[in-house]
Amino acid sequence: MNCTYRRIKGVNEALAERMPVAAGTDTETFAALYERTFPRVYAYVASLLRDRAAAEDVTAQAFERAYRRRATYRKRRGSHEAWLFGIARNAALDELRRRKRRAHLEAEPEDTSALGADDHADLALRREAVRAAMTALDGRERDLIALKFSAGLSNSEIARVLEVSETAVGTRLHRTLTKLRKACHD
Amino acid sequence: MTEDTATIERDLAAVESALAGGTATHEDPLARELQELALQLRADVPRPEPSFAEELHERMEAAFPSPADSARGRAEAARARQQATLKRLSAPRAGRRFARRYVLPAAGVGVPLALIVGLIFAVGGPSGPSGGDDDAGAGGVAADHTANSAGGGAGEQAESLSGLPVEPSERSARRNSAALAPAEPVPRDGNFAPGQADRKIERSFSLELDVPLEDMARVADQVTAVTNRHGGFVLNSSVNAGREGGGGDFSLRIPSDRLRPALRDLAELAPVIRQSQEGRDVTRQHVTAKDRLQAARAERRSLLRRLEEADTDQEAEAIRQQLDLVAGEINGLRAQLRDLRLRTDYAVVNVSLLVAGDHDDNGGVGGSFDDAVDDAGGLLVGFAGVLIRVMALAVPLGLIALAAWLGTRGLRRRRRESALA
Repeated sequence: MNCTYRRIKGVNEALAERMPVAAGTDTETFAALYERTFPRVYAYVASLLRDRAAAEDVTAQAFERAYRRRATYRKRRGSHEAWLFGIARNAALDELRRRKRRAHLEAEPEDTSALGADDHADLALRREAVRAAMTALDGRERDLIALKFSAGLSNSEIARVLEVSETAVGTRLHRTLTKLRKACHD
Repeated sequence: MTEDTATIERDLAAVESALAGGTATHEDPLARELQELALQLRADVPRPEPSFAEELHERMEAAFPSPADSARGRAEAARARQQATLKRLSAPRAGRRFARRYVLPAAGVGVPLALIVGLIFAVGGPSGPSGGDDDAGAGGVAADHTANSAGGGAGEQAESLSGLPVEPSERSARRNSAALAPAEPVPRDGNFAPGQADRKIERSFSLELDVPLEDMARVADQVTAVTNRHGGFVLNSSVNAGREGGGGDFSLRIPSDRLRPALRDLAELAPVIRQSQEGRDVTRQHVTAKDRLQAARAERRSLLRRLEEADTDQEAEAIRQQLDLVAGEINGLRAQLRDLRLRTDYAVVNVSLLVAGDHDDNGGVGGSFDDAVDDAGGLLVGFAGVLIRVMALAVPLGLIALAAWLGTRGLRRRRRESALA
């Protein structure tokens, strides 16, 4: 598992960026926020809903809602991304509640564009193992994993979204990763 | 389960390092395994379809136009609203949902509000600074019935329930005490004498008149004149009309049947500042004394008959001694009845003459600097009273609203979180 991912690098670059001005001030800055976060919002919502079509609807809904409420953003309540992911999370949870069922993750389309031929089989095996291990997690743990790895949020941003302390996020994250690691071995 | 904080911090730092660098290079096998897992998790994120990304990007650039912006969109929106309305109306749980969304929150705010308002009214909060209860209690220490009124200032006079002219500003206070103003008082427990048509009522009145210092002597003479004209008498009086101040006090006895016209005449002498009346039903004492007097007289007659028929001197002497006792009792009862009759036939009227301005505690338009300071203090006290009353209503309501908001927020959050359970 000692390999490099180009997709991850892209996300890291996005994480390193900061908005120059408040997202709530005009459409242009909201566009910047959108450009930076769209893939991650979708990834987070899709991880939570496990339904590609529903994820698209909810992602669109979340961005639209954020756009309409952009004037309500307050800097002291966290970063723009934490604010946006809070909206996305609420929309996703509302969708989950509406459907009254736990959606199963649809089969993800294979993304082979970033991998070499030698890496393909090994990666597929590992991916399957992790996916299987994810089923051992409960909803809250999956939410945490999605916020961390799909949304790419920092622990402090996750703390803002979940309205808990950063320490609690770190503890929960460590516990969940440990559980996931053990499940991968099982 | 307790987790080692150092291990947690090391592992989390390792994960962050792997996410930042894109490689798992930690020396510790467990930490490295977590790094690899983190990289795997991030590599496995779902990615949006290009078509969806393009579509959403277009919508974002167009500032998320609502469906109602086009004719087709408007028709679709109207259709959707119609369907939603029909669905809402036909849904079996629509009523419950409506109740949960609107009725319960409204009841949650309305019921405590009604309780608070009711409590405030019950305690007597909205009543004026001089509430009716205070007035009633002030003059009725030992009386069965009291009716007071208070006010001040000069102006047009009005007829009150008892026939006395009262300052216009006192009308509201008199209205408050109207229930206490009937002529017949309520008998006190234990003194009630049922079945008696001719009730014996002991009455007393107090009047405070607003008299200019220069008219003090003239009004004092007129008080005596009015008393004499109505067949009453002055029990005691004191009048002071000196330069440094003045005033007067009269204790009058006026026949009960002339009381009303006498009071009216007294009230015409000067503006009435304050008046109060008390009434006490003494019918029971009167009836008892009368019955005991009749019995004593009958016993006396009986003793006299026995005295006539007495055979021995010793027997006659014994009867005479009993006759003396009965005679003493008869005299005492007669005095008691006379006293009761005097008290009920003559009403006690206390008249106080106060120099105009000395008693004015409400302030006037003109006046000295001290008056202005007093007025300002009074205004501040009044404002503080209003503020306290408003706070008494607003603070609990604010707390209720805050609790309702927090509760609703928490409930909504729990409902959302339940989707993850």
